[in-house]
Amino acid sequence: MRYGIYIVPAAIVLTLGSLACKPPKTAEQLKAETQAAFNEGYQAFKDGKARATNPYVNDKENPHKAQGWNDGWDKAAAEKAAADKAAADAKAAADAKAAADRAAAEKAAAEEAARKAAEAEKAAAFKRAAAAALKTIHFDYDKADIKSNDRAVLQGIADFLKAYPVAKVEIEGHCDERGTNEYNLALGNKRAAGALAYLKTLGVDEARFTTISYGKERPLCTEAKESCWSLNRRGEFKLK
Amino acid sequence: MSRFLIRTFLWVLAASGLFAQQAPPTEVVLTATSSAKLVLAMTAPKVSGVSEATVGAEFTAVLKRDLDESGVIAVLQERLPADAAPVKAWKEAGAQWLLSVRLGRATSGDLQLEASAVDTGAEKGVFTRTYKADKIVPLRHIAHSLADDLVGRLTGDRGVASSRIVFVRGLGKGVKEIFQVDRDGAGLLQLTRHGALTLAPTVAQDGRLAYVTYKGGAPEVWGQRRVNGDHEKLYPTANAGGMISMLSSPAWSPDGKRLAFVQGDRRGNADIMVLDLATGRARRLTDSTGINTEPSWNPNGTQLAFTSDREGGPQVFLMQDDGSNLRKLTNEGLYNASPAWSPNGAMVAYVSRFEGKFDLFIYKLGEGKAYQITTGVSTSESPAWSPDERRLVFTSNRFGSSQLFTTDLSGRQILRMSEMGDCQSPRWIRGR
Repeated sequence: MRYGIYIVPAAIVLTLGSLACKPPKTAEQLKAETQAAFNEGYQAFKDGKARATNPYVNDKENPHKAQGWNDGWDKAAAEKAAADKAAADAKAAADAKAAADRAAAEKAAAEEAARKAAEAEKAAAFKRAAAAALKTIHFDYDKADIKSNDRAVLQGIADFLKAYPVAKVEIEGHCDERGTNEYNLALGNKRAAGALAYLKTLGVDEARFTTISYGKERPLCTEAKESCWSLNRRGEFKLK
Repeated sequence: MSRFLIRTFLWVLAASGLFAQQAPPTEVVLTATSSAKLVLAMTAPKVSGVSEATVGAEFTAVLKRDLDESGVIAVLQERLPADAAPVKAWKEAGAQWLLSVRLGRATSGDLQLEASAVDTGAEKGVFTRTYKADKIVPLRHIAHSLADDLVGRLTGDRGVASSRIVFVRGLGKGVKEIFQVDRDGAGLLQLTRHGALTLAPTVAQDGRLAYVTYKGGAPEVWGQRRVNGDHEKLYPTANAGGMISMLSSPAWSPDGKRLAFVQGDRRGNADIMVLDLATGRARRLTDSTGINTEPSWNPNGTQLAFTSDREGGPQVFLMQDDGSNLRKLTNEGLYNASPAWSPNGAMVAYVSRFEGKFDLFIYKLGEGKAYQITTGVSTSESPAWSPDERRLVFTSNRFGSSQLFTTDLSGRQILRMSEMGDCQSPRWIRGR
């Protein structure tokens, strides 16, 4: 029993020592714990928690966990920042493209409008010229001869056709109500032909004209008096 | 003065010459050689199952007007004996024929009319006939048939009360269409719906219509190739060629196989053409500088009357249907146009400008003389013959707008057909 005085304290010391000193963690354990903390931190960022909420910050025995958590949070934060920046960049690029497209479209529209305005102006000028030139001429009773005071009108029509080489004109022959429907159709044809022949002498290609007779079927005026009849004995010129 | 003489002459003509001209019919009771018309009296219709008022308005009045306009029968109106009086009493009252009519319903419910006429001189029956009509046939039409049969019994040539007039009517805004109306002004019917200027109807003997329409912007001749067929373009055909600036005045030949019409060119000429419907070939009959228009066939289709300004103003000429044998018909007046050859071939009606307006004239080919039909301050235009050659239909502005009228050949009995305005180019055709 003499050795008992050594053995008992030694046993106590060994027991206490073994209790006080846990065995050191292996490298795999540390790595796993660090990864778990990293994941928690990563998720914490995603959940919107602040970096200061790191639950391991006061765990002095496991600084790797605090470090891992912070690394996870930082990684998530960095990823979000990168994503935000990419989105912002994409949006900025899209905005810039849209702006460029708008500008191009506006420019095209402006050009189109200008072209249309020019066309409309040209068409309006054509119409004005046509309206100014295509005046009605008149005839004597049962006659198809061009009257001297209508020569200026026909010259104006010839000038108009020379100025606008695409213009085509229909010459309408009309008559007053005296005489038969059918004879007046033939007389209206003769009047249209008379105007055509005169325009030919002014140097206009006759292919630019069509002729048609309405006889007494389309009077401008229906009273039985000379002032009305003389209005109806006419040649009209219409753009075709 | 000469006008007065013409008028006087015309009275005599209308009174005697005209009726004497009728070909001797095979079965004629009373040859109307005297100046008087046959005097017919009519007892009040015996009516059962039909309203008396309807019969009065739609039958008696219509029949009397039809007979009156027939030109050969006069209806006795005054000093009539009682309905039950003996035939002798009617004879003494002046009636040569006594017409009795019984109107009722057959067992089927259809209208039935029994008509009989007695010659009061011989006191024997001269006419008896029964008419039946289903509900869709108006009483008016039976009256027309009876009038036509009575005229046929008297003259050997059926009357024209059942006939129709085809004409152009303006609908405003440059649109004119072809219409048809019964000879008594009833039964208006629109025949074309082109929504365009549509002119110059002509109706073949078999009823086929042709006309000119501007529906495509330029004039074209349209019509029916078959009886009751669709309206289709007849001319210009695909091979017509050339620059046609005017088409007008189509006229069916009497056999209905050819269509005369007028084609205008860009030099201002207008020529008579004849289109053969079977081959589609058109032949030019006139070839003059100037206007040739308004072709009108003679009844056997060998000659045409037409208007030409080849000697200055418009005058009526005649030629063979190949363009040969040209001769001028009218000599008096500065503007003669719109010739219409009569159905029997002996007369040409036309219009002539006289004192600033137009009047109807008739040229009698046998006599080589013209007679004035209408007079007055208004214009009369577009004469067309009745199928029985006893009347002319024409247009006149005597009441303002151009309306349809008919006249007998003396010009004494001018009747307005209807109050429609803006009418032109009438053609008179037999009823179906």
